[in-house]
Amino acid sequence: MKTALTLFAAMAFAAAALAVEIGKPAPDFTGTDIYGKTVKLSDYKGKIVVIESYNSDCPFCKNHYRTGAMQELQHDLAAQNVVWLIVDSVNTKNFSYRTPEQARKELADQKITATAWIDDHAGTVGHLYDMKTTPHMFVIAPDGTLVYDGAIDNRPQPFGDPRTAKNYVRQAVAELLAGKPVEVSQTKPYGCAVHYAY
Amino acid sequence: MRRIVILFSICFGLAVLSARAAHTQVQLLLSAETAKPGETIWAGVDMKMEPGWHTYWKNPGDAGMATKIEWQLPPGLSAGEIQWPLPEKLPPAEVTTYGYEDEVVLIVPLTLETNLPASPLNLAAKVSWLECKESCIPASTDVQTTLNIGGESKMSDEAATIELWKSKTPQTGQFTGRAWWEKSADGDTRPLIIGNELTEAARNTKYDSVDFFPGASDQFEIQAATEIISADSADLRLRKLVKKFSGDWPKEISGVLVVQNGGLRLGVEVNLPVADKAPAGKTISTQTPSENSPGVTPAPPSQPLWRMLIFAFIGGLILNIMPCVLPVIALKILGFVSEARSKPRRVRGLGLVYAFGVLVSFLALAAIVIGVKAAGHRAGWGMQFGSPVFIVCLTTLVMLVALNLFGVFEVTLGGRALDTAGELASRHGVSGAFFNGVLATVLATPCTAPFLSAALGFAFAQGTSVILLIFLTVGLGLSAPYIILSWNPSRLKFLPKPGVWMEKFKIAMGFPMLATVVWLVNVAASSYGKNVLWLGIFLVVVALAAWIFGEFVQRGRTRQKAAALVALILLVGGYAFALEKELDWRTALPEKNTPGSLKESTDGIDWQTWSPEAVARARAAGKLVLVDFTADWCLTCQVNKKTSLEISSVRAKLKELNAVAFIGDYTRTPADIFDELQRFGRPSVPLVLVFPKDPAAPAIILPEILTPGLVFDALNRAAK
Repeated sequence: MKTALTLFAAMAFAAAALAVEIGKPAPDFTGTDIYGKTVKLSDYKGKIVVIESYNSDCPFCKNHYRTGAMQELQHDLAAQNVVWLIVDSVNTKNFSYRTPEQARKELADQKITATAWIDDHAGTVGHLYDMKTTPHMFVIAPDGTLVYDGAIDNRPQPFGDPRTAKNYVRQAVAELLAGKPVEVSQTKPYGCAVHYAY
Repeated sequence: MRRIVILFSICFGLAVLSARAAHTQVQLLLSAETAKPGETIWAGVDMKMEPGWHTYWKNPGDAGMATKIEWQLPPGLSAGEIQWPLPEKLPPAEVTTYGYEDEVVLIVPLTLETNLPASPLNLAAKVSWLECKESCIPASTDVQTTLNIGGESKMSDEAATIELWKSKTPQTGQFTGRAWWEKSADGDTRPLIIGNELTEAARNTKYDSVDFFPGASDQFEIQAATEIISADSADLRLRKLVKKFSGDWPKEISGVLVVQNGGLRLGVEVNLPVADKAPAGKTISTQTPSENSPGVTPAPPSQPLWRMLIFAFIGGLILNIMPCVLPVIALKILGFVSEARSKPRRVRGLGLVYAFGVLVSFLALAAIVIGVKAAGHRAGWGMQFGSPVFIVCLTTLVMLVALNLFGVFEVTLGGRALDTAGELASRHGVSGAFFNGVLATVLATPCTAPFLSAALGFAFAQGTSVILLIFLTVGLGLSAPYIILSWNPSRLKFLPKPGVWMEKFKIAMGFPMLATVVWLVNVAASSYGKNVLWLGIFLVVVALAAWIFGEFVQRGRTRQKAAALVALILLVGGYAFALEKELDWRTALPEKNTPGSLKESTDGIDWQTWSPEAVARARAAGKLVLVDFTADWCLTCQVNKKTSLEISSVRAKLKELNAVAFIGDYTRTPADIFDELQRFGRPSVPLVLVFPKDPAAPAIILPEILTPGLVFDALNRAAK
């Protein structure tokens, strides 16, 4: 009885602690990807996870994809066994919403090599992580703690070559892999507002 | 050739298309047609947005990008910084941005060198911006215009437009403000208070709305939601949350303070050092409500002491009929009945003893409050109900009172059970009256009454002598009806003659006491969860011990010692096993703050867990917000909820207004709710607030006792 209660209290506590904070466990979520597959963050425990808040119509995101810089980063990190989750929180009424079919086509056309593209049109994951903009990036360490939350790089521009900028995600992952502490763990995300459902 | 033509026309077509794709038209304006060398003139970059589209301020906020101007100026001309007209806060609340809709003219000073030759000059600039509606488009365009240099300056036709927009840029130097951290950081966010200096000239202006638009920074972010603590020009105070990205907490902040009065909207540039704590003289006022908070708070803090004392007295008087004290009334009625035919002197004496009991208890309460305050902790009315130990003791005590009324055992003092009957009765009467006074006070604390909360709210912020004075006055109010009744016992003639019926009445009065026990057990459940069962078992064991004590020790003829031993063993065993081992009664369960809906029934109000941030978010989204601060031990709160909040008409109204409802659970007296109660001048729950749709308007404070009409009225006022 008592253990059950303690357990219950601990669970309640864990629920209360649900908020994105650097150095704290990244809140778990379950989503459905554009192939209808269930994606659960905690299934990737033991691996580095990158989360990208995505809307390819947003000029800031578009610039990262048009120049191929984002695909390059996805490719490089995938080679190092890093999981990349795209979270698309655009609501269904918005012009930038992609049906799963459109999304699958876009994934192929853009040569995106993400582990999964989560269709989050209800904004559940977006709100859970307090995603402000597209692109808003998160890096989660293998032990499940959040180590980076913020902009993708230090170049808040919708044009030009992103490769010239300091990429915070690339840097955080490199530092994690080298067993070093993540130097820049929080920055102000830039980009377009996430078009949440209201 | 033909191919080239097609290719060319496609390219040209695309170029036209991309030019059309911009939803913003840009034009370069100058304040002068002809300017003299050495002069400074104004340039205006006029941006006209299509309906629904917006462009951004210098700090775009959570998303977006500031408009940029790259000048291509002939030698001898230099451009200064952009002066940005006051922007609007743009929704949605989760991603608040600062920007312009319809039109904006960005103002730039252009300085002409003294040695400029007199000839027309071509001024050009590349303007790039991000325009957003449902989606965002980056755009840029080249603009140009001509400026004549001559011996005589001549205003242009556009000068008036530039002047108009210049007047919309924030003023400088009119605001002597202060900023300080309200408390230490919670993770990487920290509340910041921005206030102004008291200037006599600015006194007594009450702004319709106040806000602060921060400048941009890479190191930290002053979040968009603003909580207005006071909109009084003489004592302006805003609360903003600061989120830190890297480095230390900022030592300085800059931005624009925005005040609105009627149709007039003014921005003032501010650049403030951030102090580590509130400036002297500002701490107390932070904890009292704004003097201008509308609504029905009977007592703003500036009220004179005598008025507070009257409130305290009336409040104490009203406490008598509040649900918490009602069970004790039963005891008092009984006391009067049994004494009504006694000598007047004795009745008077008992009335005074009762009052004495109440006053001593209030004195003790005041002493505790003063002690707790002196130790630097928070003291509030009813705070002892946040302690599970107190609740267990009180529950046991009230149950014993009930058993005593049932006649299970007698209360005798000092074991002198076999004195003369008369003496016993008198002792019983005196100690009983005193005990009733104490019990009335203890049971009264979870209730606040109208007037009372105003007086206590005032008292808690004051010094020792005022606290003592107000508490004693409340005690006087609580006991006044009995002193008055007992002073002239002829007034008690309406009561029936004492007789056998009294024994029955006494037993009947045990039941309200039992009801109180049930209520207290329910309160304890919030500390122990399902384990509260063990409290129930403990109560049963105590009851059994009480019965053995009454039946075999007090009224028994033989083996009284053995019976007493059994009763003692039961008590000790019950305590050790049920309370200590199973219930672990001195430690309560951790508080559960599960976010999400607290809906009580499927069609009930969709209550959310209260937090200052959640309220700020909802308000920033332009939602009407209802907040109910309540506690399991607050009977007034439960009654309010049943009669005036959780009713179908209010549910429908909230739905119609698309309002957000929050519950702040004060059962365990958490610090953040305590602070909020203090801010609205309440010593305890209940506190029901309605925040108007306009995020800048102050909250409407509802009275302690609600009626559906009051709630409706407040919701209607807030919806405007």
